[in-house]
Amino acid sequence: MNSNFSCKTCASADQKLETFISNLSVDTSHHRMEGQSVKCGFGLQGICCRLCSNGPCRITPDGPKGVCGATADTMVARNFLRAVSAGSGCYIHIVENTALMLKKTAASKGVLKGKVALAKLAEIFEINEADEHVCAEKIADMVLADLYKPDYIKMELVEKMAYKPRFDRWKELGILPGGAKSEVFSGVVKTSTNLNSDPVDMYLNCLKLGISTGLYGLTLTNLLNDVMLGEPSIRLAPVGLRVIDTDYINIMITGHQHSIFSYLQDRLIQDDVIEKAKAVGAKGFKLVGCTCVGQDLQLRGEHYKEVFNGHAGNNFTSEAILATGAIDAVLSEFNCTLPGIEPICDELKIKQICLDDVSKKANAEMKPFVFEEKESQSNEIIDAVIESYQARRGVVTLNMDADHGNDDTLTGVSEGSLKSFLGGTWKPLIDLIVKGEIKGIAGVVGCSSLTAGGHDVLTINLVKELIAKDILVLSAGCSSGGLENVGLMSPSAASLAGPKLRAVCESLGIPPVLNFGPCLAIGRLELVATELAEAIGVDLPQLPLVLSAPQWLEEQALADGAFGLALGLPLHLGLPPFVTGSPVAVQVFTQDMLNLTGGQLIIDDNAKSAAETLDAIIEKKRKELNI
Amino acid sequence: MKRIIIDREKCDGCLNCNIACISAHEEGSNFYTVNMQSPEAETRNFIKFDAQKGYLPIFCRHCDEPECVLSCMSGALEKDPLTGHVQYDESKCAACYMCVMNCPYGVLKPDKQTRTKVIKCDFCEDKPDGPSCVKACPKKAIEVKEVSL
Repeated sequence: MNSNFSCKTCASADQKLETFISNLSVDTSHHRMEGQSVKCGFGLQGICCRLCSNGPCRITPDGPKGVCGATADTMVARNFLRAVSAGSGCYIHIVENTALMLKKTAASKGVLKGKVALAKLAEIFEINEADEHVCAEKIADMVLADLYKPDYIKMELVEKMAYKPRFDRWKELGILPGGAKSEVFSGVVKTSTNLNSDPVDMYLNCLKLGISTGLYGLTLTNLLNDVMLGEPSIRLAPVGLRVIDTDYINIMITGHQHSIFSYLQDRLIQDDVIEKAKAVGAKGFKLVGCTCVGQDLQLRGEHYKEVFNGHAGNNFTSEAILATGAIDAVLSEFNCTLPGIEPICDELKIKQICLDDVSKKANAEMKPFVFEEKESQSNEIIDAVIESYQARRGVVTLNMDADHGNDDTLTGVSEGSLKSFLGGTWKPLIDLIVKGEIKGIAGVVGCSSLTAGGHDVLTINLVKELIAKDILVLSAGCSSGGLENVGLMSPSAASLAGPKLRAVCESLGIPPVLNFGPCLAIGRLELVATELAEAIGVDLPQLPLVLSAPQWLEEQALADGAFGLALGLPLHLGLPPFVTGSPVAVQVFTQDMLNLTGGQLIIDDNAKSAAETLDAIIEKKRKELNI
Repeated sequence: MKRIIIDREKCDGCLNCNIACISAHEEGSNFYTVNMQSPEAETRNFIKFDAQKGYLPIFCRHCDEPECVLSCMSGALEKDPLTGHVQYDESKCAACYMCVMNCPYGVLKPDKQTRTKVIKCDFCEDKPDGPSCVKACPKKAIEVKEVSL
């Protein structure tokens, strides 16, 4: 296999990774970019419609409307709402599974490691219950009850979770979401053939989906996971390909549902399992982090020091991680599990097991996670991985890169751990912002892509520009995977910051880019922003805070983006989300949104000018706050 | 001399050549920003569909004996002796449309908005990478090739 692939790989901001991939003898996404370099102009602008057999229709000078009469504005809005609905569905699937897991864990009197998160949720949900298991089950039930409401009944936790000024604005705009699963359904129905044609109605619908995605799919998933798996705590950790230890049986995990691994990761370090590993010549088992679930494990790494060897890389590093030859199995439960890993796993005899059928890989064994069978399932997985280890080690050539990554990435940053680090109050951070030592905050979030200059290229260049302007960067998502591997989350990266931010970082021993972990943690950034706004006594759009998803990749990122806009924050994207063919879309996202929510979309694939725009917005907000 | 050579069998009718052409002639635009709804948006290449033959890409051939040049009375159309490309000088055009009537392939057309000039392929002479349509074709149905006369 793989005899017919490009020798030319795309650029990566991670030079060592770029070299490693360019020398591989297996085909990766980085190789396939060249073959896909010619893009469809109609697709890029969102002016292609495939909703009926009269199509596909495209907007051209000779065909300014689809056969049905749909204008470019209608086509773009339908395509966009469909994408946001799908993206929302993905995150809602994650929070549903997580809530079910918490419910079952609590009902079976399982271990709840995060007492602080439990107390916090109980307070938000107004549950007065002394028994932690009963309390946790009630929390899970309340989340599930909201998720399963019909779309015409508003979810009850929105008001409890959201910052009041935001909630009031959403209510005014009529965008408070009904049941989150039903809202996805409504979004899909609305955008089907010859239904809704009103672009503005559809964009408001996107904001509604953004709210349900953000508060439930993101924020609550984090907090529910914290209850089961423990809260993040700040520490230094190794990252990159170097974390793979060939002396161990290595399992790479991909996905977004940390709790699915909860039992297995504890089981892997029990004596009888370690003995099994030793019996076949390994020292034991290690989990190697990849994609967001790896970031989640890294974030909570303090609780998993023994079994977790570190985060190796983001979505578009996954093929390289497998190509080291030292991974014996891939356990996946969600995206971003690239189809491109399948032939690599076949060639390198890597066992693939899928634990959730939404991400079933074509050549993988399907083993849907069943809570009640987690003991037997874990044992079966362990045996299958051992079998894979025995069949492949010694046969497959290893191709390690011990130089890749670093040992001192600061991880474990969350709304809770950061506040504790600051002494249990946001005041020190607010004081630094007021004094101008930190000019503002940029949440640089979302995916990694191979566009906008190459793998992580725009993300890393933008972050360097921002920190040089004394803007503190908080990152969540695959963006973190790239930023940490190039050393921007190591304390020594302070030297790249502007003089004021550098001094702050050096005095605190922190990097200028703080690692909140997975994309789910965009919800944690929302908590930080809300708590800062509360402490200052302003609404979110008034904060000197900007968001950027420089290399957004997928539908989930668009749902995240809709949340950012609903929060009223300026949101920068490197490339447009397939909407530029519609003048109405451009007007709504870049201008009218300011009057609706206070949010604004900024599109720029140039790191320098994008940073200047974001800097100017921060300066403007500082002036308006008289600081 | 360079010409755009067509391989009709490879054409999927995606019209990416149309977008590329319109974008190449809308200053400062790219595939994201080109305004496909502008009254000024004009493409210089065409894809026709024939039930028997499939897609027919119609591009200016910059003919060896160009009927458009031969029929042009004002001197607006000239064949460049070095490149072999037929170039159009709008300032000399009298808008008589003899070229439009005489083009054997039906490539030339008056502009839609003012009907005072001719819309014609300029081989993207100002683009260092050559014709934009060729770069944009995902199937390589059109390619620039060196031809001898």
